Amino acid sequence: MISLEEVSWDAPDGKPVLSDATFSLAGGELAWLSGPSGGGKSSLLRLINRLAEPKSGSIFFAGKPLSSYDPPALRRRVALLPQTPVMLAGSVGSNLRRPFSFKVAHGQAPPERDRLEQLLAGLGLGELALDQEAGGLSLGQKQRVALARLLLLEPEVLLLDEPVSALDPESRDLVERTAVAQAAAGRAVLMVSHQAPQYSGPLRSLVLRGGVIRQRP
Amino acid sequence: MSGAVQIGWNQLALALGFVLLAGGASLWLKLGLGRDLIVGTVRTFAQLFLMGYVLVYIFALSRPWLVLVVFAGMIFFAGRIVAGRVKGKGVPVFWPVFLSMLLSYMVVSFLVTGVVVQADPWWEPRYFLPLGGMVVGNSMNAMALALERLFGEMTNRREEVETLLCLGAEPNEATSSIFADSVRAGMIPSINSMMGVGLVFIPGMMTGQILAGADPLLAIKYQIVVMLMLVGSTTLGSVLAVSLARRRLFTPAAQLRPLSPPKPKVH
Repeated sequence: MISLEEVSWDAPDGKPVLSDATFSLAGGELAWLSGPSGGGKSSLLRLINRLAEPKSGSIFFAGKPLSSYDPPALRRRVALLPQTPVMLAGSVGSNLRRPFSFKVAHGQAPPERDRLEQLLAGLGLGELALDQEAGGLSLGQKQRVALARLLLLEPEVLLLDEPVSALDPESRDLVERTAVAQAAAGRAVLMVSHQAPQYSGPLRSLVLRGGVIRQRP
Repeated sequence: MSGAVQIGWNQLALALGFVLLAGGASLWLKLGLGRDLIVGTVRTFAQLFLMGYVLVYIFALSRPWLVLVVFAGMIFFAGRIVAGRVKGKGVPVFWPVFLSMLLSYMVVSFLVTGVVVQADPWWEPRYFLPLGGMVVGNSMNAMALALERLFGEMTNRREEVETLLCLGAEPNEATSSIFADSVRAGMIPSINSMMGVGLVFIPGMMTGQILAGADPLLAIKYQIVVMLMLVGSTTLGSVLAVSLARRRLFTPAAQLRPLSPPKPKVH
């Protein structure tokens, strides 16, 4: 579903970060990407989401280069959960519904209250009220609300940047199970994390070191 | 009009005493402003006398193209000042600023001289240049404030903007609240001036007219026109400049360009 061919990328200060990164990820596959801090894991996800442009090489989604898609529509199909969860001004409910107010969502009805509550409960946030101010949530709660906001878009590819970094083992387990369920539903899931997943099912382990992606032995 | 009391060269020289006072304070308190004070004083004399002679020449010739060229020149320098104030963020803004100023100030100045004051012809230099000059001088601060706010917010709220882009927002949607904050920052000073005028301060133009012997009631009517036109020109100018500058912050693929962090203000 996603494939990268010899992708290179330099940081804005000119420092090379990715050099000839090549890999592909099929629908239904769950991959865990690790590697040293500052090694380019987040940058790689940004390139796949087209928040940044590679210096050289090509990235394909569903067999076509990323540049052949309208960027807002692409970002909803190849969705990125950034490392820092940002809550928009307003309530938890308005945060979850906001992406349905964009031009790209024309004709799409915003999700019903029941659906939102069900989704939050599945991520261990059953205690949150939809009209609660999102700014006052803890970091771990924000991480999961941000994930819920992304899941509502029903993307085909999920790029998760450190989605469990601020979570206790129980919540971490819920998020990992959600990722597994997403892959089981046919989505390609690429999760960047310093910590190895607690999950023991089929998982592809990748490591990004020295700008190159390798299969973890 | 009864005519103003003339100011001679000796009296002008006496007024220099105020600058000497400021220079003394700078030396005594080690403010390091001596050079700026000297340059500022020389430029005040030079620029205003130059403007005076240019105005005498233009009033005498009375040609519309000349009036418009002078007006465009004033806007060019205002554009450079504003672009200079927001430079260093990695995104050049001179052209967005210049174009927004040219368009909005031209429209407002034309409406004021041609439609409100009903100067005949509308480009009559005695009306068009001073009124247009006030539009440029006052509105350029509004534009600088609006752009400073835009760049500051885009730097501070970069993660929020990128989060919205990730959720499928177009650049305009991802920056709608920053856009509103920036335009508001540009408009507030002219609205505040309307609140305080006549109570807290007597505006410069009115002071000038009254000193020059005009009827205070006529001076007030002109001042009201000026205050209202400033609200219009700051709104138009801020909206246009912020829209054009915002476009420069994104690539055609809706990616946010890197911005340098804001530098501490030195003015």
